[in-house]
Amino acid sequence: MNRFISAALLAAISTAVSGAAFGDTIKVGVIAPFSGPFAIYGKQYQEAIETYVAQNGSSAGEHEIEFIYKDVGGPNPDQSRSLAQELLIRDQVDYLAGFTFTPNALAVAPLIEQSQTPTVIFNAATSSINKESDFYLRTSYTLWQVSAPLAEWAYDQGMQTAATTVTDYGPGIDAENAFKAAFEAKGGKVVDAIRMPLSTTDFTPFIQRVRDAAPDAVFTFLPGGPPTFTYTKTYNENGLADAGIKFLGTAETEEVNLQGLGDDAIGLTTAYHYSGDHDSEANAAFKSKLNELFPDAVANWASVGAYDGTHLIYQMVEAAGSDGPAAVQSALGLEWESPRGPVSMDPEARTLVQNVYIREVERDAQTGELVNREQGIIATVGDLGWTQ
Amino acid sequence: MKSWGPPLLLLILAVVLYFALPFNLAFLTRILIMVVLVLSLDLVLGYAGIATLGQAALYGAGAYAAGLFAIHVWADPVAGLFVGAGAGAMLAFVSGLVLMRTQGLTLIMLSIAVASICLEIANKARDVTGGADGLRGIRMEPVLGLFAFDFIGKTGFWYALAVVAVVFVVLALLSRAPLGLSLRGIHESPERMAAIGVSVYWRRITAYTIGGGIAGIAGALSAQITQLVSLESFSFTLSAEALIMLILGGTGRLYGAVLGTLIFMFVHHWAAANDPFNWLFVIGALVLAVVFFLPKGVISAPPAITRLLKGGRHAGS
Amino acid sequence: MTLFLNIAVDGIAYGMILFMISVGLSVTMGLMRVVNLAHGGFALLGGTFAHWFGQELGLPFWPAALLAIVATIAVSLPLERLIYRRIYGFGDLQQVLATIGLTFLMIASVNLWQGSSLLSIPLPDSLKQSVDLGFRTLPVHRLVVIAAGLVSILGLWLLLDRTLFGIRLRAAVDNRGTASALGIDTDWIFMAAFGLGAGLAALGGILGAEILPIDAYYPVRYMVLFLIVVAVGGMGSISGSFVAALGLGTLETATRYLVPDYATIVFFTFVIILLALRPQGLLGKAHA
Repeated sequence: MNRFISAALLAAISTAVSGAAFGDTIKVGVIAPFSGPFAIYGKQYQEAIETYVAQNGSSAGEHEIEFIYKDVGGPNPDQSRSLAQELLIRDQVDYLAGFTFTPNALAVAPLIEQSQTPTVIFNAATSSINKESDFYLRTSYTLWQVSAPLAEWAYDQGMQTAATTVTDYGPGIDAENAFKAAFEAKGGKVVDAIRMPLSTTDFTPFIQRVRDAAPDAVFTFLPGGPPTFTYTKTYNENGLADAGIKFLGTAETEEVNLQGLGDDAIGLTTAYHYSGDHDSEANAAFKSKLNELFPDAVANWASVGAYDGTHLIYQMVEAAGSDGPAAVQSALGLEWESPRGPVSMDPEARTLVQNVYIREVERDAQTGELVNREQGIIATVGDLGWTQ
Repeated sequence: MKSWGPPLLLLILAVVLYFALPFNLAFLTRILIMVVLVLSLDLVLGYAGIATLGQAALYGAGAYAAGLFAIHVWADPVAGLFVGAGAGAMLAFVSGLVLMRTQGLTLIMLSIAVASICLEIANKARDVTGGADGLRGIRMEPVLGLFAFDFIGKTGFWYALAVVAVVFVVLALLSRAPLGLSLRGIHESPERMAAIGVSVYWRRITAYTIGGGIAGIAGALSAQITQLVSLESFSFTLSAEALIMLILGGTGRLYGAVLGTLIFMFVHHWAAANDPFNWLFVIGALVLAVVFFLPKGVISAPPAITRLLKGGRHAGS
Repeated sequence: MTLFLNIAVDGIAYGMILFMISVGLSVTMGLMRVVNLAHGGFALLGGTFAHWFGQELGLPFWPAALLAIVATIAVSLPLERLIYRRIYGFGDLQQVLATIGLTFLMIASVNLWQGSSLLSIPLPDSLKQSVDLGFRTLPVHRLVVIAAGLVSILGLWLLLDRTLFGIRLRAAVDNRGTASALGIDTDWIFMAAFGLGAGLAALGGILGAEILPIDAYYPVRYMVLFLIVVAVGGMGSISGSFVAALGLGTLETATRYLVPDYATIVFFTFVIILLALRPQGLLGKAHA
């Protein structure tokens, strides 16, 4: 158990109930949405963690590992912070994990800094989170990491003009900046940069504007769920593909909602760090175990983020037990073979260095399902947004 | 002014909870902050009869104002509360000039529109507010220069409880003051009040402005304790949840606001911890049960208590 | 000029979608005067049934949509009897609470049955095509929505203004006691009107799903959108909702073409100015 907290507890609560440490069990608190419109994230995390545990056992080195799940409901920093406090104080966890939304991750920064708790971010993709505390480690990706290589690839493929249509909030603007900087550095031209309001339901005006501008490609960033669904429909219905304006995206074709997009998704091009379809032994083993435990589960970036995050936690526990600073130290530079491909933990930005793949959606001949088919690796990069 | 019993009981309940749930102080503090917000809505809706679904606009204004004040000017918590109150009151006054001319569905829509505009402005002004990432870097000084905010959340709890107590007393006094009585009169019959020479419009603006100040205090508290302000402070969900808590407890009575918040937050906490995927079943059923069996809110449950609480009020309302 | 035509075409197409998703609410909330926040819940049920019939049972689009509307009405009638009938006489706030509670139960049920991911309703190829308008193209399903909107407004006008049912409904809403005393079966009238509102909600949910896709949290996500159409149109006026939906659709489309960066702020500022000038809504009747 963490020394800082035990001291604080002793000083604070004389009537402490049963907070005694359990032999040598290391606890990991997972803060994620398990209810509400974003509940799918929590579900994906939990399934991936349980898959990892089923494959690797519930102990790392000499330590038993136990996961405690807490529902944060959605983007809600108040709740995120209060859950972290509860986990650290009552459950006496030694590691925190999860965090789908940037504000939720940022809200725990003062806590993990004070209690020296290694915190593994499974998702939140804003570069600057990791600058708030040395105890953040991230096993997802950042928007710069995938958007910039996509821009370079597009230019190399002969696309010289592009329009960007991003949702007008932090992540969207990050994606726009990354794409624009990389595309123009190569010599390309961004002819129109449209920021679409968060509340947009009908994307026709933006799509129509892009069509009139007739660039070689349109780069987009959208929050998952309904906006992606509507945008891709509108892209197809207004004949942009036929007019030769190529769709370039990142997370838009993620696997959970991909089947829901239907045939409209076929041909969409994205750059991303993980495809459910990735052809490797590690991925096959991950997916077969996942589907053995949860027949309806679909592997996507959220599950692979949690799966690798769990791997990282196991490695840290084995190396350093409950010693937070030593655990983080042991994680820096760590390399392993993930279902997404080979990865390593960047010692400075504390985000994974990983392959970015170019993929195209197609219908798998055998299963009849839509898949993100990898066309090749376009870059192996760390967090390009770290120095921005 | 006869009964000091119920407020004392609530205070004792808070202290008991503090010792009973020593590991959940952060959660208890969130309840206290919510109580302040719901009390502000009770003044606006329960006393003055102004139906709004945009209380989050005032809460968010207080939160961002207090957060920015702490970062750029002075990190004193109490000063921050005044700044939050000022921001909430100012926004309420300015928007109230338009809103208070209307009522019913139109007023509800206008209040939603104001909150939506605030959210969009906070989202656009990324350089100032941090946009969707949230406003970070809030580090508070000790309360009154004496009590530093601690890891467990003890200071946060007592600080929030003190604010709740002050807000509660102010509202209790206000409801018995001439303004409070005339608000009640307006709620019951605007025509009659207008006939006896009361400016309904300005009284409503006054009530909305005070309510805005209190909502701003709630926002400021949340900014100081969480040390982060996010766009969600302006969200429709927050306004709607505050409204549900208030109606659940019973409008027009301060205890109703407190009780409704307690019940909603505890049920939510318990249900979400046990089965997050299906907790909406529990809350939906609870809400329906209250409407059908206790149409005046949970506060009307034990008639004996109700009679006691009615203390200084006239019958027939 | 093209820009102007684009705004007009897209504005009307989007406005008709707004009308279709909120017309059911103008019946239940506007005409029957019950604050029906569960409107989106009925749209969600319609969309979910359509997804189930179309995607999982493999029925073609039109039969699936028709069955989904029938199924939604079949669910709505017992709900009217069990819940709504008791709250007609309640105050606004109790109605808000009751219908929100009901919405939560609907969301939780759909969540349990179909999960929380998107529930797509497969369109037939004929609706997926685009029509050439000369200066641009327009998807066929948007034309279908426009047609459906016109048919709905015409049908409702005939039903409410030109039939005995409409006269009796308005009488029952205005003064239920007198209406019953005159021998009108108000229970039946209310139930039928409610079923109509729920059916229209389901139809709107299904037809609007290309723009407002169905998932379990649909009712909460788009609640503001439904309410705004009815508020701007004016309570109790179906034609007001129609004008408001087209106006708002055009306004929103125009802001997105002209000032995309500030579209939300400009849009809501217009709504505030409009409601400040006309607190009863565009075609609402002033009543005490």
